[in-house]
Amino acid sequence: MINTFEEREVEVERRFVRKEKDIREDIAWAKINSDVLRSLERPRMLFWVIFLGSLALFMFGVSCEIYQYETGLGVANLDNPQVWGLYIATFIFWIGMSHSGTLLSAILHLMHADWRKPIYRFAEAMTTFSLMTAGLFVMVHLGRVWQFYYVVAYPNERWTWPNFQSPLVWDATAIFTYLTSSMIFLYIGMIPDLAICRDNATGFRKRFYTFLSLGWMGTDRQWANFRVTYLTVACFLIPLAVSVHSIVATDFAVSQQPGWHITSFPPYFVAGALYSGCAAIITLFIVLRYVFRFEEYMTMPILEKTAKLTFAISMVWTYLNLVEYSATWYGDDMYAKQALIYRATGDYAVFWWSMNFLGSVVPFTLAFKKLRNHIPTMLVVSILLNVGMWLERWMIVSPTFANGIYPWTMDHDQWPAWVQWGMVAGSFGWFNMLFMLFCKIFPSVSMYEVKEMVYHRSLHTKAHGEPSVNHELAAEGGTAS
Amino acid sequence: MSITNLLNNWSFYRNKRPYRGQYDLNRQYGEYKWAMAVDLDICTGCNACTTACYAENNLPVVGKHRFEHGQVMHWIRIERYWDEKMGEFPEQGTSFLPMMCQQCEAAPCETVCPVAATSHTNDGLNSQNYHRCIGSRYCSANCPFKVRYFNWWNYPSTAWPAPLEDQLNPDVTVRTKGVMEKCTFCVQRLSEAKSRARTEYRLVRDGEVLPACAQACPTGAISFGNIVDPESKIAKMWKNQQVDLYKDMQEKDNTVRGYRILEDLRPFPSVMYMERVRDAEA
Amino acid sequence: MSKSHMLALFNDFDEASAAIRELKASNLEGFDLKDVTLKSPIEHPEIEELLGKRPVYVQLFTFFGATFGALLGFLFISSAQATFLMQPKGGKPIIPIPPDMVLTYELFILGGVYITVLGFFIGAKLPMKRHKLYNARVSEDQIGILIKAEDTAMPAIKDLFTKHRALEIIGEGGK
Repeated sequence: MINTFEEREVEVERRFVRKEKDIREDIAWAKINSDVLRSLERPRMLFWVIFLGSLALFMFGVSCEIYQYETGLGVANLDNPQVWGLYIATFIFWIGMSHSGTLLSAILHLMHADWRKPIYRFAEAMTTFSLMTAGLFVMVHLGRVWQFYYVVAYPNERWTWPNFQSPLVWDATAIFTYLTSSMIFLYIGMIPDLAICRDNATGFRKRFYTFLSLGWMGTDRQWANFRVTYLTVACFLIPLAVSVHSIVATDFAVSQQPGWHITSFPPYFVAGALYSGCAAIITLFIVLRYVFRFEEYMTMPILEKTAKLTFAISMVWTYLNLVEYSATWYGDDMYAKQALIYRATGDYAVFWWSMNFLGSVVPFTLAFKKLRNHIPTMLVVSILLNVGMWLERWMIVSPTFANGIYPWTMDHDQWPAWVQWGMVAGSFGWFNMLFMLFCKIFPSVSMYEVKEMVYHRSLHTKAHGEPSVNHELAAEGGTAS
Repeated sequence: MSITNLLNNWSFYRNKRPYRGQYDLNRQYGEYKWAMAVDLDICTGCNACTTACYAENNLPVVGKHRFEHGQVMHWIRIERYWDEKMGEFPEQGTSFLPMMCQQCEAAPCETVCPVAATSHTNDGLNSQNYHRCIGSRYCSANCPFKVRYFNWWNYPSTAWPAPLEDQLNPDVTVRTKGVMEKCTFCVQRLSEAKSRARTEYRLVRDGEVLPACAQACPTGAISFGNIVDPESKIAKMWKNQQVDLYKDMQEKDNTVRGYRILEDLRPFPSVMYMERVRDAEA
Repeated sequence: MSKSHMLALFNDFDEASAAIRELKASNLEGFDLKDVTLKSPIEHPEIEELLGKRPVYVQLFTFFGATFGALLGFLFISSAQATFLMQPKGGKPIIPIPPDMVLTYELFILGGVYITVLGFFIGAKLPMKRHKLYNARVSEDQIGILIKAEDTAMPAIKDLFTKHRALEIIGEGGK
């Protein structure tokens, strides 16, 4: 309530003169511990709604897979030119989703952007689980999934090896590397927090966290090794993440199909990956903030920064998208040009245009400060952006099959059967289920790094003599040091 | 050991294909290169080749419904193209094109298979190993001709109800669901002919072996043979039409009719088509 | 001449660093700076510096892991291609360099990450049993200084910690 002139002065200063802080600097460290540990115990009701809903979706996806496994891939309504369909499109979507975790935990770590600290843990978990989901689609899409291990280079008495020239083998290697490395990275970064859990847990949970925290005591030797390891693995993860999605892009770019055989595909895919990942971070940010009552850590300024980042990446994506179109349009590749025209005017035109609208126009809502700070809008926009990005992947895969080089394959529209849609839905169930389980079992806000953030920021404030401006927030909580 | 092997044979392992001299009558395992020539000017589009292929290669008949869904399994298909300028009777302008696996020398499908289920044989065929195939369908995605067919359903259990299974060719595998298959140039006949010739210390004679489609064609539009042998009919046809196996996009005289489909993608197909370019208004 | 442990907990990080600085300067009999262990809830590079040079060897593991990952990866892939019945595919050489480079790059990272983490576990001596003087408050908001010294030096150190407003001083056997 603004009643007097003085209050108005304060409000003006709070809003316009001084920026709102990412996090309260005077928040007590014991409170950080207890707030985060509370998320492992009693979340809001919505948690169980999401979890059970995801479980149901996942079970539906599983039943679709069982049906398809028994009957053959024909039930997915794939056919000769249209051999891939939604499975591969959704595979790329999930691989792309995984890149935001690396962006937040590794790239921003190297750039010393410490506002990432309260939100990077769940972003990294997102990386791991979306990679697991993507791996699922590789399996689901195979004709003989029971022999998927032929792709693995294991020694055998027949001296048969996978074909190392195939981008799918690169994919398998890259995804294996990325999945295991990001899991290790997630785990290593979580060890100090697991020690906190261990110190506060009882019963079987205590045994569980004691086992996982490996006897971490926070000694100087452990911290020094930890710091170097974290930095080194972060340095490995950035090129790895870029290479993973570049390799997924080469699945298409090295082939001869019109609309795929495009040099700019790898950077285009990487930009799209970061884009959909950032949008997903906003969605999950809002959900976690509500479900686990993380309002004090996942604050509005952090949401705003994430939204700005998303906006910047969306513009990079838009640029690369336009580069692809114009290079095809003004290029000499007759087939590619024809495929582009087919996308814009053929059977997939509705999806193609909505992909462009959702991907390039909708993000402009993120340019407005008011909308960036409005949680319901951000929730809707972030979901819409991801719908757009999913459509983008679909528009890469399917129209090319429907309008290939060879005349016999042209104008071949094939609508995906419910089995495909069911498995796409099931993948969202699987991802949400794993993600929600993770947030229930492991601290989804990094406690020790929030402490570091608070500590360093308060030191900075002390040194520069900036007074606390958040009047309404300064009411509770003691000081740490 | 491996490193010595690598160092000793490095230049051999770095060879690109096809290279001139890859096939040579005097070289062991290089004496055969199977090739085909299809004369479109005498093709009547009668579909006898397709029928023969179904019988020879145990292809399942999928039924009308699945045909409409594009899940048909014809290894050789007759494509029909209409000339738009024919006016009242467009059927008069129909031209037919039998399309089967082109057995490309630099096949786009081979490089992308993750499990090496498809690779090149010594006699220039693009082989498909059903036992190794895991059904990623990448080969089909990358095939510019789209001549690879996937077993979307479990055909062995449905396509040949008793007693139809008695008509299956015992020399050819019946493919289960989830594997890719395609025209093999009737490799079972080629293997048999080759081993018969080997027992008699000779090479396979010209015309000794034909794939089912060439054998069944009533007008003789499909010719087949070993292109390495310069005296064979197929080698002479390729030479007369100025189509060179090792070249892409070569210059030709106006008088010849021979061409290979999508040569500009550089897959070096082993099938030559012959057609007089027609002008509908003439 | 028996050595024992003592843990002092501090609320104020500046006092803790002052205590370490004074310990360093004190030259007490039967006490060595390398027996001081700092236990903290967050990273404190600035206090760790006071403890003298304590080298970290993780990068060495990284270097060898990445190098061997790349070398062994390339050798494995190319020799597998060479021995796999020598099937040419798609007109490409049997050992095509660009695809092998892609895989070599992935294995370079794989080796690097795995061996780095191995180096971390070796360097940080994890997994380990917790020291019996571990206090759960260290994982919350307090900084702990664990020292190992001769029993004769203990009272002096204890006085020093008390002077720097240690919240609690826990010795072995309740001393």
